[in-house]
Amino acid sequence: MKRHLTIEEFSRPSEQLARVDIEDLIPLPPPYDGYKEPEWTRLKDEKRASCECSLDDTVLLSLPKPKSLREERELADKFVAGLQKLFTKENNWTFLQPLVLSMEHCAKCQTCSDACHVFLESGGNDVYRPTYRAEILRRLYYRHVREGGLLSGLTHGRVGMTWTTVARLIELAYRCNLCRRCAQTCPIGVDNALIAREIRKLCSQELGIAPKELHEKGTMLQLSVGSTTGMNSLVVKDNMDFIDEDMSEKTGVKLQSKWDVEGADVLLIHNAGEILAWPENPGAFALILEAAGISWTLSSELAAYDGVNYGLFYDDAQFARIALLHAQAAKKLGVKKIVAGECGHEHKALMVIADRVLTGDLNIPRESSFVLLEEIVNSGKLKLDPSRNNFPVTLHDPCNVVRLMGIVEPQRRILRKIAPQFREMEPHGVDNYCCGGGSGFAIMSGNNFAEWRMKVSGRRKFRQILEAFRDEPDPAQPKYVCAPCSNCKGQIRDLFAHYGAKEKVGLHYGGLVELIVNAMTDVKPGFMDFDAG
Amino acid sequence: MASFTHGNITIEVDEDGFMAQPEKWNNEVALALASTEGVTALSEDHWKLVNYLRDYYTKFGVAPMIRKLCKETGFPLKTVYDLFPSGPAKGACKVAGLPKPTGCV
Repeated sequence: MKRHLTIEEFSRPSEQLARVDIEDLIPLPPPYDGYKEPEWTRLKDEKRASCECSLDDTVLLSLPKPKSLREERELADKFVAGLQKLFTKENNWTFLQPLVLSMEHCAKCQTCSDACHVFLESGGNDVYRPTYRAEILRRLYYRHVREGGLLSGLTHGRVGMTWTTVARLIELAYRCNLCRRCAQTCPIGVDNALIAREIRKLCSQELGIAPKELHEKGTMLQLSVGSTTGMNSLVVKDNMDFIDEDMSEKTGVKLQSKWDVEGADVLLIHNAGEILAWPENPGAFALILEAAGISWTLSSELAAYDGVNYGLFYDDAQFARIALLHAQAAKKLGVKKIVAGECGHEHKALMVIADRVLTGDLNIPRESSFVLLEEIVNSGKLKLDPSRNNFPVTLHDPCNVVRLMGIVEPQRRILRKIAPQFREMEPHGVDNYCCGGGSGFAIMSGNNFAEWRMKVSGRRKFRQILEAFRDEPDPAQPKYVCAPCSNCKGQIRDLFAHYGAKEKVGLHYGGLVELIVNAMTDVKPGFMDFDAG
Repeated sequence: MASFTHGNITIEVDEDGFMAQPEKWNNEVALALASTEGVTALSEDHWKLVNYLRDYYTKFGVAPMIRKLCKETGFPLKTVYDLFPSGPAKGACKVAGLPKPTGCV
């Protein structure tokens, strides 16, 4: 059973601060009524002995336990120094103002908790309240940044500045998807997700602590090899050649992807994960752009064939380095604009946050592929037969594109034209729920973290999908979740596998361009093959 | 990093159970890793898949596209799952001693 957590006990060492009991999880709708989640895989004793695992039922960062009192103090001292830097204009030119406002203005009304899918689906576990994490940082802020004394301590409350506090707080910063549904609902605009993100930033930039999936195997790999997938430019070209060939065979339309075309109108940057894991997606993009007669190109420059920018999730410096490479590649080719493929965080990174980095001739226009695709569909250049998509379809709204950028309708207007059985999830649009893989969680599975993504953070999305298709219970009827974002697709794939949803409900998932190509009459029928894989 | 022992084989694995040092892979290691995937014996088909992955990785330093793997081994995806129940990335790549695939895959 869950119990009430105080802020004070966060700094006191214990074996495990919070637990999510399987009994506390909210039951799912049919056909999963009566389904019981398996118990948590307990972290191994050797793991618990060597790493900080005392927050909840899982662990992501595996921070080694300190070997001496000196090491203990060192972490706490570095954190305080980093915290002080975080609140200076010179060191936090990106997010200082909203961070300070969020520190100083929370009314603790808990409206945000009721908006948070992680808190709700955990059965209301205090540790996942958006305000719990924020309140710990707030107390540290008043004590160590504002240097408050006794009176401040009485007014704002205190929390011990110990190794346990820091270690748990870093870990807790990675129990938030950064979907910012809490910020949207807050009556006074406090952004608790930004607080989680800034804790991550402090830890990466000042303490050198970040998940290996985002840093070592993420931004560092992208900056050295060219892509978070590890593909260098030769491998990516070889793979795209293969996709061209495969697509030509499948569709009957001869396809040749464009590389490094100088002066093209559009530089298309995919999330490179699409090329490896969902090749129909870049293939369908190429087919649509060719059929519409768009002047377009891909770039084989370092990092410019991978729209990923994990810096968005944890580190401003890494963010800026990658954003610059994207813009420099576009400048070198002299393209008119960059178009972001079906990747949510690429959208927000390149189009919104990069505005703070890209100045002068690097400030090249950037556009969402949803917008370009709508123009193409409306132009009449593609011959489309919606009856080819005559199966139930719903749309997942990637948080970064929809809630956080307000790109809501273009993708819907396309679906209304090409998918006769399109239906919305509830809630949707800017009120959507995160897939549960947001902020990079979809690529994190170490230890038992994948279980947390299924049982807690992803449960609300799976519930929404089941509800959207409740009128179609027959598993023999294929149903399609259109999820135009690589990270969301990875999470939805894992959710469907976890629940056996393909077999039990007939659920399939994929992107937006695949549905468009499936409706194109110039293409051999059956582009979308629900029987395969 | 943890170590994993099966019979008289001991190897270093990461938190997802993938080999920490892919260069130390050999046929016995493959068998040991297969045991973690619920695969008790490696058939000719298992080896065909594993060897393809191994060769590709040695040549390109990255795992192949799943579609390419299917096309070039002649195994439909379903067969890959029959052979390695956790699938091509989490199952077959692990047994072939590749590091865990990275990026949004």
